Amino acid sequence: MASNSLQSLHHHHSLLKLLPSDTSPPFSLFLKPTTSASTATNTSLSLSISSTASTSTAYSISPATSTTPSTSKTFSLDLLQQHLSNQNFREADEETRRLLIVLAGEAAQKRGYVFFSEVQFISEQDLRDIDGLWRKHSNNKFGYSVQRRIWRQKVGKDFTKLFIKIGWMKKLDTEVEQHNYRSFPSEFIWELDDDTPEGHLPLTNALRGTQLLSTILSHPAFEVEEEAEEDEVGGDEKGGLKGLRDSSNPSPLSNRVFKTDYSF
Amino acid sequence: MASLVSSPFTLQSTKPDQLSSPSQKHYFLHSFVPRKIKQTSSRSSLKVKCAAIGNGLFTQTTQEVRRIVPENNQNLPTVKIVYVVLEAQYQSSLTAAVQALNKSSKDASYEVVGYLVEELRDESTYKTFCKDLEDANIFIGSLIFVEELALKVKTAVEKERDRLDAVLVFPSMPEVMRLNKLGSFSMSQLGQSKSPFFQLFKRKKQGAGFADSMLKLVRTLPKVLKYLPSDKAQDARLYILSLQFWLGGSPDNLQNFLKMVSGSYVPALKGKKIAYSDPVLFLDSGIWHPLAPCMYEDAKEYLNWYGTRRDANEKLKDPNAPVIGLVLQRSHIVTGDESHYVAVIMEMEARGAKVIPIFAGGLDFSGPVERYLIDPVTKKAMVNSVVSLTGFALVGGPARQDHPRAIEALSKLDVPYIVALPLVFQTTEEWLNSTLGVHPIQVALQVALPELDGGMEPIVFAGRDPRTGKSHALHKRVEQLCTRAIRWGELKRKSKTARKLAITVFSFPPDKGNVGTAAYLNVFSSIFSVLKELKRDGYNVEGLPETSEALIEDILHDKEAQFSSPNLNIAYKMGVREYQSLTSYATALEENWGKPPGNLNSDGENLLVYGKQYGNVFIGVQPTFGYEGDPMRLLFSKSASPHHGFAAYYSFVEKIFKADAVLHFGTHGSLEFMPGKQVGMSDACFPDSLIGNIPNVYYYAANNPSEATIAKRRSYANTISYLTPPAENAGLYKGLKQVSELISSYQSLKDTGRGPQIVSSIISTARQCNLDKDVELPEEGQEISAKERDLVVGKIYSKIMEIESRLLPCGLHVIGEPPSAMEAVATLVNIAALDRPEDEISSLPSILAETVGRNIEDVYRESDRGILKDVELLRQITDASRGAVSAFVQKTTNNKGQVVDVADKLSSILGFGINEPWIDYLSSTKFYQADRDKLRTVFRFLGECLKLIVADNELGSLKQALDGKYVEPGPGGDPIRNPKVLPTGKNIHALDPQSIPTTAAMQSAKVVVDRLIERQKADNGGKYPETVALVLWGTDNIKTYGESLAQVLWMIGVMPVADTFGRVNRVELVSLEELGRPRIDVVVNCSGVFRDLFINQMNLLDRAVKMVAELDEPADQNFVRKHALEQAEALGVGIREAATRIFSNASGSYSSNINLAVENSSWNDEKQLQDMYLSRKSFAFDCDAPGAGMAEKRKVFEMALSTAEATFQNLDSSEISLTDVSHYFDSDPTNLVQNLRKDKKKPNAYVADTTTANAQVRTLSETVRLDARTKLLNPKWYEGMMSSGYEGVREIEKRLTNTVGWSATSGQVDNWVYEEANSTFIQDEEMMNRLMSTNPNSFRKLVQTFLEANGRGYWETSQENIEKLRQMYSEVEDKIEGIDR
Repeated sequence: MASNSLQSLHHHHSLLKLLPSDTSPPFSLFLKPTTSASTATNTSLSLSISSTASTSTAYSISPATSTTPSTSKTFSLDLLQQHLSNQNFREADEETRRLLIVLAGEAAQKRGYVFFSEVQFISEQDLRDIDGLWRKHSNNKFGYSVQRRIWRQKVGKDFTKLFIKIGWMKKLDTEVEQHNYRSFPSEFIWELDDDTPEGHLPLTNALRGTQLLSTILSHPAFEVEEEAEEDEVGGDEKGGLKGLRDSSNPSPLSNRVFKTDYSF
Repeated sequence: MASLVSSPFTLQSTKPDQLSSPSQKHYFLHSFVPRKIKQTSSRSSLKVKCAAIGNGLFTQTTQEVRRIVPENNQNLPTVKIVYVVLEAQYQSSLTAAVQALNKSSKDASYEVVGYLVEELRDESTYKTFCKDLEDANIFIGSLIFVEELALKVKTAVEKERDRLDAVLVFPSMPEVMRLNKLGSFSMSQLGQSKSPFFQLFKRKKQGAGFADSMLKLVRTLPKVLKYLPSDKAQDARLYILSLQFWLGGSPDNLQNFLKMVSGSYVPALKGKKIAYSDPVLFLDSGIWHPLAPCMYEDAKEYLNWYGTRRDANEKLKDPNAPVIGLVLQRSHIVTGDESHYVAVIMEMEARGAKVIPIFAGGLDFSGPVERYLIDPVTKKAMVNSVVSLTGFALVGGPARQDHPRAIEALSKLDVPYIVALPLVFQTTEEWLNSTLGVHPIQVALQVALPELDGGMEPIVFAGRDPRTGKSHALHKRVEQLCTRAIRWGELKRKSKTARKLAITVFSFPPDKGNVGTAAYLNVFSSIFSVLKELKRDGYNVEGLPETSEALIEDILHDKEAQFSSPNLNIAYKMGVREYQSLTSYATALEENWGKPPGNLNSDGENLLVYGKQYGNVFIGVQPTFGYEGDPMRLLFSKSASPHHGFAAYYSFVEKIFKADAVLHFGTHGSLEFMPGKQVGMSDACFPDSLIGNIPNVYYYAANNPSEATIAKRRSYANTISYLTPPAENAGLYKGLKQVSELISSYQSLKDTGRGPQIVSSIISTARQCNLDKDVELPEEGQEISAKERDLVVGKIYSKIMEIESRLLPCGLHVIGEPPSAMEAVATLVNIAALDRPEDEISSLPSILAETVGRNIEDVYRESDRGILKDVELLRQITDASRGAVSAFVQKTTNNKGQVVDVADKLSSILGFGINEPWIDYLSSTKFYQADRDKLRTVFRFLGECLKLIVADNELGSLKQALDGKYVEPGPGGDPIRNPKVLPTGKNIHALDPQSIPTTAAMQSAKVVVDRLIERQKADNGGKYPETVALVLWGTDNIKTYGESLAQVLWMIGVMPVADTFGRVNRVELVSLEELGRPRIDVVVNCSGVFRDLFINQMNLLDRAVKMVAELDEPADQNFVRKHALEQAEALGVGIREAATRIFSNASGSYSSNINLAVENSSWNDEKQLQDMYLSRKSFAFDCDAPGAGMAEKRKVFEMALSTAEATFQNLDSSEISLTDVSHYFDSDPTNLVQNLRKDKKKPNAYVADTTTANAQVRTLSETVRLDARTKLLNPKWYEGMMSSGYEGVREIEKRLTNTVGWSATSGQVDNWVYEEANSTFIQDEEMMNRLMSTNPNSFRKLVQTFLEANGRGYWETSQENIEKLRQMYSEVEDKIEGIDR
């Protein structure tokens, strides 16, 4: 028995709010539908919510993102190009994630984030173009392909090691070596300096684990140019590399006073 | 994508001062935990830092991140909302709601501040909370179930309740629920009113039904109420609506909720008619997937959708793909705080597993689990394993649990059940920084309680962001969780022939004679029996030898010459490069062990894995800690990492042998005692890294639930209990037997002229048996009166009976071999000896005593005093009990002596009643008139017990676990106290740590404490002891439901108080008048296991001690205060800090290591052992800074110990005694106290024994003697051990080594114990040869131990004896080295 679409719900409260209260379904309709699951079609009264939701085109739940829902369906690299050529990495980073969501399809836009399995819908060309722009404007320091190279060749596909290397995790001052995620945006580096770690940008958040990033970095878009430089480290595919203790160099940022946010 | 993180939430600029505080505090938190310590000397300075910084609590987050103060440019009326919740997931949703309201509302401006329940522990936070309430309009509370905090909330809100416009409390403790008020609607009558509304709460109070009926009410009531005209009904309706809004949780719902409540109840807004929408309701329970267009109420429909997914690859759509059930909390979904859930779903799917994520809003998930995960047609599970991401028990959440219901649902499902947990009370960084790991309250609620459902693998998979309160994935933990869940699921999908199993045996202490050590278990025979059964079941165990002896030889490599090859069989040589590539954490081990390969389990070039493979089964030997023989490490290492060889073993098992499961064989190994957080490990914790991805099944002795729990939590084991060997009465032998015979002739002839003559033979024989140490014997030739004769004989008789009736496990248990009927008799007799008032069962002895007009307690007491006729009566009662039980058991036995078909036999017996075998038996004794009804009750109970004792589920449960099925959970403990421990073969669990001490435990504790004080006064000139140093054991407290914990409370004169849910979180004072004696000071040394399991109770004890120290009472009536004042002055600290009495090891570290030092003979003098004790055991728990974990407080520890006049321990069950295990002497501080005392006086050492109906407090030396007589020197015992062969020799050697341990720590071992042992095992040539040929390595150790006892001055003996020992030593040495003479 189908019921309300939850994921859309959070993203559209702003829409619902605009509805005059008398148009919202009468009270009794909110009770759990008791009709049997005889049909798969959405006839249940309780669906009124999801139907309003489905008309929406918003994709982000966050007012803080700089994207504008109404135009978000179009894919254009202009804005990214513009930000990057101005060395405006913070906005470029934001725009990159917006583009990724747009490229991943309508469902991702509604949801506000890309589910790892949607990455396959992104064309090689589009992903390469985005990556190309990043590399071009960062002396090859930023970009997915840069991250991919480190991931595959330097850290044996271990994400913790990757995150430490590219400055997404910070070392904690505990007896055993442990790392925590950096807080977004304050703990990240938004300038292209000498000590900015290679591959630091663009960011992909790890709130929902590492499968999304893993899929992006494994996208066929990046396979062509790399064939020759296949690594020698990543022998063990799954890594099994469980420790956060691997002593890589402490990040150049570790002497700052940080807020304890893991996110980015 | 990052949009979620850069959430709409920003801190308000109006409070700049508070703005900086969170970050500041967090920064400081880093130094909270001792930093990487290179030199031990730097430790003390760090401690100062700990005390000085932070609030010392578990969480440092503050309400300020949840405060929104609107700008309110238009001067709208302000509504201030204050909330307190357990569920941080409401934070972001509420914040979003309030921000949206402020943006759009033209009627009001909303100010909000929120508190997470745990933050209220902090005094300054609590003050701010009270202050916030002063001008608040609306208070909201939810899921407040922690009593102390509930009371704080209650006090604060109560003060403002009348003034507040609305108070809304959703499911919480009744005390808080009563605060509810909405207009005329109030819950202040909750629990008292007769109205049906409140009756509902009352009736359902007992179960998780409470919350669920509330939900049901929510669904049905508003519909009815809506049409009721009265204001009252209107208010009630709005309350229900509020609850609906709240449970609907989305920012929209919360917005409308706030509009409704403020519009209806805030006076300034009343005229404004603020419009609100009705709540948007979601399914109460169903199936949710982030990609699905809707939620489902039917798994088939959901799977249909799954099949149409465009994004899913073929692997995932494959009908044969593994399917994992996920259990989610609805509130996380509706509030949109589900990133961590999405992470798990993505990880599972990326690994090719389908998921069925189900959720429920109530606290009872048993219904949804059955509804959505079991195919309604086939009644089979649609999933291969289930992972609960809620952290809660399946039924009852944080409120009252219903474990039987959960077990019923999970049994139907019959797949492995994992309960992972998100951080609730701590932020990610706080957890990472904590050496304890997960917050103790969360451990109680989300680790201990799910274990009672059979939940496994408490993996912390989600962290919490301090700013937004949102959960987020911990990517490595999610990986660990998902891989493990899939691998558990894979077991069922893989054929038995293909399944690979790694059986791991232990070698502890590390000596060849010790390979295959496990408490009470004949390991190799058991492995052999397991393998035979697995072979029959279809597993590939190619090449399995014919006998278990051959199996031993295969592994120990003694094939040709039994005494030659010293090496174990090498199964694999792992090169260093290979090791490093397979073991990601290898570099972390270098700090302690240098570069690989090192010299342990290594040939200098390769790492060596010992063991042997048979088909798909590998039998391997777990490496040892590696530092056992290194006194410096034992002394200084707070904890030491595993060595490279240890890591290599598990890398081999996981990645080269590619085991589908590992079976750790018996109690217990080293893996789970490796350093790391106590509970809720991170990527950097060694047990987690070592076990890796392998499903772990662990055979564990049923009587050791505490250490089994450590294995569960720290090595993710499915612990399967095994029975301890059948107990027998120790019986009498040699001189003791003669004494007994003489006494019986004395009884028949005492009035003849032969009386005095017999008495003098009794006395001289008793003296030969060294009974003069226990009973005061008259000098030889001394004239004694007839009355005195009776008393002397009575006392000796009583002692003899005590020895005779002692229970001892004979031989070693073999898995899959239940005891024979007659072997069960002694156990049953002891089960029958306990009154069980809760089940209305009278004990057999008390029934029999009544028959002759006596009260059994009186008989016990008089017999203890040595009154001959009562000793005799007690013996007759004991004999009659044994006879009656034997007669009963015989009736249920076949002609082979095996118990058959108890059920049938029983019903035929009980059905007719006329031929009751116990009546038949008793009719020929003096107890023929015993009460038949009472007898029938007790024998019916014994019948049930017998059925359980002989049930054989140990192999069955193992097969179930390996088949990827659910193994039913059951308590561990002593089958005599708690027959629910039976049948074995259950997934052992401990108990709800907050449930102890129980009232009954408190009762028995009083008796023991009073006896202890009585005894001490008698030995000490009538003076009360000022301080008692005692030990708290995990297992002891589980078995007795907290008796020893209660003893501590009673010594200092306080009583535990339970809350509504029966949780003990408070104590209250017992007045001095009531106590009738001074409060006695204590020094409590908690075992590392106790600390892991019962840190809440350590907290409780510490609070109690500090409370008592602060009482305004005279020093001679309150020794706690007296000493604390002295110590405060001496140390220049406050009295609270001086009143530090609750000690243990540092987090992640166990034992004083004295046991290891003794077992390996690696110590110089007693001083060194005492230093070890002090350096490892002086870590205190501080209730004023619980978050700091264990902090070193050595000075106070030493000072407190120096005041001790008595040391004291409890024996926890009849079959484990002082010399059976090394941990009793390991924790004994008797000699240490003597050394610390200014007067160098030796404290009295006592041991309490409540294992039998007649509780005793004995001196330590009495207990050591009793133990030596019943075990080491008792032919029944050592012959029983010898019949187990190889392992049996080791058991004998272990008892002697442990005896030396007692000499070393307490000096309470008599010379004759060693002397007798020497004549039994060495002087007896035949015996000696048997020992030597059965297990030469253990025999060598035995000889060495004798020499050591002499060398260290614990045993004085003839030069001749020593010469012989030396000669034997070199002889056996040569044999082992293969030198033929």
